[in-house]
Amino acid sequence: MSGGLTLSVLLEHDLVTFTRAVGVLRRRNFPIKSIAVGPSATPGLARLTIMMEADQATADRAARQLEKIIGVREASAFPAGEGVARELALVKVRAARERHAELLDIALLYKAAILDESADGAILEVSGSEAFVLSFLRALEGFELVEVARSGAVAVGRTSGSPIPVTQTSEAVQ
Amino acid sequence: MTELLTGAHVMCRVLLEEGVDVMFGYPGGAIMPFYHALPEFPTLRHVLVRHEQAAAHAADGYARASGRPGVCVATSGPGATNLVTGLATAMMDSAPVVAITGQVPRNMIGRDAFQETDILGITQPITKHNVLVQDAELLASELREAFAIAREGRPGPVLVDVPKDVQNQKIEYEGRSRQHQSAARASRSVPAGSRLFPRACGDLREAAELIATAQRPLIMAGHGVLLAAAYDELRCLAERTGIPVITTLLGISGFPESHPLHLGMPGMHGEVHVNRAIQQADLILGVGLRFDDRVTGNTAAFAPRAKIIHVELDPSEVGKNVPATVALLGDCRTILRELLRAVSPRDCKDWRAEIAGLMKTRTEQYRGDLSPEGILQVLDEETKGRCTIVSDVGQHQMWVAKLYPYERPNTHITSGGLGTMGFAVPGAIGVRFARPEEPVWAISGDGGFQMNMQEIATMVQEQIPVKMAIFNNGYLGMVRQWQQFFHGRRYSATPIWSPDYVKLAEAYGVAGWRVENAGQSREAIRAAMAVPGPALVEFLIEQEANVFPMIPPGASLSEPIEGEPAPLVSA
Repeated sequence: MSGGLTLSVLLEHDLVTFTRAVGVLRRRNFPIKSIAVGPSATPGLARLTIMMEADQATADRAARQLEKIIGVREASAFPAGEGVARELALVKVRAARERHAELLDIALLYKAAILDESADGAILEVSGSEAFVLSFLRALEGFELVEVARSGAVAVGRTSGSPIPVTQTSEAVQ
Repeated sequence: MTELLTGAHVMCRVLLEEGVDVMFGYPGGAIMPFYHALPEFPTLRHVLVRHEQAAAHAADGYARASGRPGVCVATSGPGATNLVTGLATAMMDSAPVVAITGQVPRNMIGRDAFQETDILGITQPITKHNVLVQDAELLASELREAFAIAREGRPGPVLVDVPKDVQNQKIEYEGRSRQHQSAARASRSVPAGSRLFPRACGDLREAAELIATAQRPLIMAGHGVLLAAAYDELRCLAERTGIPVITTLLGISGFPESHPLHLGMPGMHGEVHVNRAIQQADLILGVGLRFDDRVTGNTAAFAPRAKIIHVELDPSEVGKNVPATVALLGDCRTILRELLRAVSPRDCKDWRAEIAGLMKTRTEQYRGDLSPEGILQVLDEETKGRCTIVSDVGQHQMWVAKLYPYERPNTHITSGGLGTMGFAVPGAIGVRFARPEEPVWAISGDGGFQMNMQEIATMVQEQIPVKMAIFNNGYLGMVRQWQQFFHGRRYSATPIWSPDYVKLAEAYGVAGWRVENAGQSREAIRAAMAVPGPALVEFLIEQEANVFPMIPPGASLSEPIEGEPAPLVSA
């Protein structure tokens, strides 16, 4: 990831809290690049990862605004360099059978999994940094991309967060 | 002991438990079960307004005057949407309001039912919190939580949306003691933002150090002083350090205006010496204010020499508009107490002399003899300073802010952040319920008054003795002033016709007077105060009177307009 700030938010896992969080980012005009949300290690809580094109002060302001929402447990901002960020992309490619080998080569190069293959194409899965995913998409430019679904980045800070009680983790994993 | 109660009864019970004595509302289909239960609770007084916007403003006025949450009630759909302006007003000015709305029955939600609207979605950005209660079992805890959230930390409005069938749902109610600690309460997430950051002793020491060494320090006091009732602490700190005190629009009446350390109001219509002092200051101790653009002018040029100590309850306000050298997070009262212990006495004599040198006695210039200044002076004399003034928005608001000498705490109430025209009349209704012993004056312009004048009927029906003053200049005066200064005198859509207000008052059965010259002011104000019920006084002031000085929008505090702009040269 080049530059940018990551906002990592732990919040109650329901639509109301999610829309509140997204709403405050929209109405205060924060420069958002991507948003990804999913369950966290704690049951009932979700982890929201927001990528911003912003400086630390702006991202901190966003975190303070998010923390005012009832249902948001914590929000912190860290520079991309201080965390690990990955996104996942699913790509449906149309390719004639004679070009399947070429497609396979690209998939191998990017460690992309082939999830589905048919006579006229395939569905590929790739994950990595945003730059890596974009590079993969560029590599496929010679093919007809039928559909691309990108998850938006999820990220974990190297120093952020606190240990999750064992019981909660095991519950979440079941 | 449990009782079988309907959701509506539970709502009334909780309101009682929360100490509610009055609510402002308007019934309708989806809130009827609540209104059906209400007569069984005679100590819950309900004031029927004429428009739900007024219910929200009245609840807001009540909250600001009493410090306790004000309550408003409306039905679903249009009833709920009519609350919106009032809730946004309360949100911007941090007033604790609990709004209860009826909603269509659960099985009809999402089907565009009659009078259905997504009030949760609509009010999300303008409430501190809102909730749709989908089960009567949760009603008590959600309502209690609504009061707690409205009140705690930085106050604000909370909306509780209750489907009609939930109001009718029968549940076993256990009363406050047990349910208070029930599962719903226990699972309540403490909003992360209300957890105050641990205040490092270093910050306090650094602040004290800055206060001790500054050559030109100023205190800027905002609404936070009133919200935390930090009046004594503010005065003690000012007296101990000799630092002059500036009060923002919502900070007015947080510091006695006759005090030798009181400087006045800053910002767009602040006095020139106040803004000059800010521009020359080397330290600003901001107490409970958010450095709004109307206060700072162009932030890039605001107080260019000053370090800023920001005393603030809400961490998201620190650094939002201006950078803070030191942030002291907490309520103003607590922080000022800590600061008081940390600072050593000084007197800032040279600096005060310097500011005194900046002061010019500016006589307001009006062509007619009925000046806003004169009216407010008579009002002060006739009320002997013992009244609460609720102002509307516009030119008169600035005159009322600057020309009436506020001595007692929290006696000036106005819509600052949102600038809601129409606030004064319904706001004053709420204020009067919080201060039944005190004269309450609602002062409006002819524009704002006409936005909510239907509430005279509420005053009559509910016998609420609010005194109304209208500064009538036949224009939407503040907009007209901007048109005069910045739009080449093109008075587009600002001339405004008024009805005969004295006859209007009469039609409502209210006493009314029209004042056309200065000689009539005293008699009319006195007569209005003497009648037991509501009363109305219309002042016909000069049509093109302006508010001076004025910082043009976006300009720095160093660039005031101090007098009438040169007349346009005709082409």
